[in-house]
Amino acid sequence: MSKKTTIIVAIVAVVAVIGLMLISSYNSLVSKEESVDTAYSNVSVMLERRADLIPNLVNTVKGYMEHETEIIDNITEARENLLGAKTMDEQMEANDQLTASLDALMVVVENYPDLKSSTNFIQLSDELAGTENRISTARKDYNDEVKSYNTAIKKFPTNIFAGIFGFEEKEYFEAKESATEVPEVEF
Amino acid sequence: MKKELLFCLLVSFLLFPINTWALVSPTEEFYVNDYADVLSKETENYIVTKSQNLEKQTGAQIVVVTVKNLEGEDLESYATALFRKFGIGDKEENNGLLLLLALEERESRVEVGYGLEGVLPDGKTGRFQDQYMIPYFKEDNFDEGVLNGYKAFYQELANYYQITDIDEVDQPIEKEENASNGMTLFFQIMMVIFIIFLASRGGFFFIGPGGGRFGGGSSFGRGGFGSFGGGGSSGGGGSSRGF
Repeated sequence: MSKKTTIIVAIVAVVAVIGLMLISSYNSLVSKEESVDTAYSNVSVMLERRADLIPNLVNTVKGYMEHETEIIDNITEARENLLGAKTMDEQMEANDQLTASLDALMVVVENYPDLKSSTNFIQLSDELAGTENRISTARKDYNDEVKSYNTAIKKFPTNIFAGIFGFEEKEYFEAKESATEVPEVEF
Repeated sequence: MKKELLFCLLVSFLLFPINTWALVSPTEEFYVNDYADVLSKETENYIVTKSQNLEKQTGAQIVVVTVKNLEGEDLESYATALFRKFGIGDKEENNGLLLLLALEERESRVEVGYGLEGVLPDGKTGRFQDQYMIPYFKEDNFDEGVLNGYKAFYQELANYYQITDIDEVDQPIEKEENASNGMTLFFQIMMVIFIIFLASRGGFFFIGPGGGRFGGGSSFGRGGFGSFGGGGSSGGGGSSRGF
């Protein structure tokens, strides 16, 4: 084997190794990005599910409290905003608005014992609470995926490829302040 | 740059609270994890036998966990993290169910895997808790509350999967609430009036709901094999109750 061929083989080998690295990190970034997108759509699905529960709730509640029109209107409006929200920020904002208006409703419900103890209302409350919990779970899952993705695109050497292929950092879902539970961190 | 670093650090703290509080681990029985020590041997054996049977036939898993406290975590996060750690239910089907009881907080939660959300919507899990568990829990009768709740959910799943091993002893017993509740008192009064009304017309006899109480679980020996979670997951569905 002449010296020339050895050099060519070496170059080919190096190029091949770089190429393989490129492919594998590109693929892993793609699948991570895909996971982020899936997690995001899970959040959206749950938000929509929450919105879908509202008309039923409103109908049930209306029968008992005819005079609390303002509270009910607020809920309906918040629901429409949630369904109309396009970006992540808008969604979160509308969702918080809905939470606030529902909280206001729950305070008033105390004055209507018949409503509070009706099977229908209890069931709807459970469905709503369950969905709210699903939203927060989906949000946590999304943040986990984003973290894994963001870490990957910042790590060497993936960061170089991420730059070349245009993978950009993703945004976290941030909980509104009052809803943030301070985690207990033990050192 | 420094600010960014600080932010990342902050975010990572916010994202990893899961690692900072200790979740209980599955016991050898897997289906019963009585860390609060409130269940009788009969109840534990009953649950293990039934759950093993259910898993063998359907792949679905019902797991009961009792804990002394939630270590400062909120009930919902604790339940979801526990559900995923145990991997309750089949990995593909996600047909797991978790009954969680936290003693000090006096809270209970039923968490449903993705795959069972159709049979057990949140509203139903809440109703089952109200009917079969909470009345017992209120009187600190945790053993019977868990057993009854378990039976109710087992029966629901058995019907869903069309497996037939429900005997009379497997029927959950709905506990009559004490007459402290206005609604029940109202109904009782109505009932009495109704009975008097009927009696005055003659010819009707009412037979109260007697029926056999539960007969304890048949205690076969534990299966020799260790059972583990199938890797199922939950998205946070289910319902919570305080008592």
